[in-house]
Amino acid sequence: MIQHGLGLLVRPHTQWHTIAALPESRLQTLLLYPCVLALLPAVAWYYGTTEIGWTVGEHGEPIRLTHESGRQICILFYFGMLACVAVIGYFIHWMAATYGAQSTVTRGIVIAGLTATPLFIAGLAGFQPILWLDMLIGVVAVSWAVYLLYRGIPIVMHIPEERGFLFSSAVLAIAMVILICLMVGSVILWDFGAAPAFTD
Amino acid sequence: MSELNSALEHPVYNYKVVRQFAVMTVVWGIVGMLVGVLIAAQLAWPAMNFDLPWLHFGRLRPLHTNAVIFAFGGSALFATSYYIVQRTCQVRLISDTLAAFTFWGWQLVIVAAAITLPLGMTSSKEYAELEWPIDILITVVWVVYAIVFFGTITQRKTSHIYVANWFLGAYIIAVAVLHIVNSMVVPVDMTKSYSVYAGTVDAMVQWWYGHNAVGFFLTAGFLGMMYYFVPKQAGRPVYSYRLSIVHFWALVAVYIWAGPHHLHYTALPDWAQSLGMVMSIILLAPSWGGMINGMMTLSGAWDKLRTDPILRFLVVSLSFYGMSTFEGPMMSIRTVNALSHYTDWTIGHVHSGALGWVAMISIGAIYHLIPILFGKERMYSTSLINTHFWMSTIGTVLYIVSMWVNGILQGLMWRAYNQDGTLTYSFVETVAASHPGYVVRLIGGGIFFSGMLIMAYNVYMTSRQDVESLTVPATASAA
Repeated sequence: MIQHGLGLLVRPHTQWHTIAALPESRLQTLLLYPCVLALLPAVAWYYGTTEIGWTVGEHGEPIRLTHESGRQICILFYFGMLACVAVIGYFIHWMAATYGAQSTVTRGIVIAGLTATPLFIAGLAGFQPILWLDMLIGVVAVSWAVYLLYRGIPIVMHIPEERGFLFSSAVLAIAMVILICLMVGSVILWDFGAAPAFTD
Repeated sequence: MSELNSALEHPVYNYKVVRQFAVMTVVWGIVGMLVGVLIAAQLAWPAMNFDLPWLHFGRLRPLHTNAVIFAFGGSALFATSYYIVQRTCQVRLISDTLAAFTFWGWQLVIVAAAITLPLGMTSSKEYAELEWPIDILITVVWVVYAIVFFGTITQRKTSHIYVANWFLGAYIIAVAVLHIVNSMVVPVDMTKSYSVYAGTVDAMVQWWYGHNAVGFFLTAGFLGMMYYFVPKQAGRPVYSYRLSIVHFWALVAVYIWAGPHHLHYTALPDWAQSLGMVMSIILLAPSWGGMINGMMTLSGAWDKLRTDPILRFLVVSLSFYGMSTFEGPMMSIRTVNALSHYTDWTIGHVHSGALGWVAMISIGAIYHLIPILFGKERMYSTSLINTHFWMSTIGTVLYIVSMWVNGILQGLMWRAYNQDGTLTYSFVETVAASHPGYVVRLIGGGIFFSGMLIMAYNVYMTSRQDVESLTVPATASAA
């Protein structure tokens, strides 16, 4: 399972072809992939925000979350990531017919999960929460994931590249909408009980 | 000049005014975005105002918004609406003189804005900063515009009024109403006036105007553009004509109520805030009607994508349109707005619409128009269009992402308080924390702006009469 993820990072083209050739039963085991990888950012950020902390501005004590608050937020974060992968995956499946591809919900979710590999790994930056550094890593990870998406969709969906370009763009639009849902969802949750509590 | 251009005149249609507005779209795009890049640099490094009052952020920010919305966006809308109404009604504009008047009048408005705003003359109403003599000029030009547009529709040779004209017509009427109502003032002298409305009513009128400037100028007008150029460039009919009519009426009926979401948690009565929020959320449906229709129309033209970067501009503009019209209703929810309001999240949201949707679809439309208007087969360089496409996309993404990060950071810092109830951070600490985001925003904006320079070069080379290889044979251009 992990070799697919690593393979996508070092030789995306070949690896997507390998994944495209997998039978449906093997794809089902790959559903576990995002469940495992999403643990990386959740644990990293739990550690980073409760133990290391971050500073704002020039001076000042590092800010940390209380362990209780950090646990609550990181568990929500974990399930939030999985929900995003599942919803994006469902939409990939849902749009497949429009772009002339055969698909199943499993296939869609597997594609979404594998494409997010750079993002999951970049989540490890949470061990050292430095805003500007994490932002840079985040931008690199997002660009990498988008690249994987555009490379992967035509291969895994067995469609011509031009049609794959449109399909990938549509997936990207969905992903942006989901991202906004995540942002808005967080803000609403902060108001309903999951507000971060800081150590004094 | 006239001898040069006489070869370009179309036997039936008035292309001259379209060509003038199309070229000015590129020119004002560069000017407006350059001012934007400058003030973005000022936010990162305040010394960039060089201690000159007319380069101060407070004076240049309205110049930036006016230049990109009304000069760049406005010229693009004039150019495309005059083109679309002639082509779809199969008749020449009713009056060349009146059309020329709208061109020179609109340019005069822009020049007047570019002079008065840096001098600090302002009505202080956002997106309506121009003082009353200019407001009157705008009104005159706009009424003439309406006469030319609707007059041409009455002379049409087709029985049907194509849906793009519905959107453009709604935009012209609504902007006239909004501008006149919001700009009601009591003049003190030539350069100073006071609004006739007072207090909360003034704020409500202002945001009724402000949000519908977004709704009708930047949405309905550009949807009109979308409904002509997307099917044209894709070479396919609109996916669902019925959907286009349904979402037209829904959009027109709902948008006008959404303004109060700009005034959440202010002195505006709670019921008005809640109404604005509910209407804003409902607005998602008609907004997405347009996106779905455009996307589905384009989806059948996938075989052309490899050779046609203009199509890419249209695809991506619709994606950003879908995203920002989803983000808008979410941000109008009061709980979310409590955090996002007054932060950079708002600025990021505006630019995902302004750069991603409005600018990208205008650029696509202008690339479609320029060769036609200059009697050429295609643009001078297709690969430069492609470069421009990637610069625009990357620039927009950097801009939006940096503002999201800054916005959430600011929102959280502003509301953080200590156990004794005092605020954890002073305002200036949040400004210092925003610095990296401001630098990334400047880079994104700079990339987008540089793309416009590439476009200007491409347009110039296409317009040159001595580049023979692009010229369409005389028989083809007459068709």
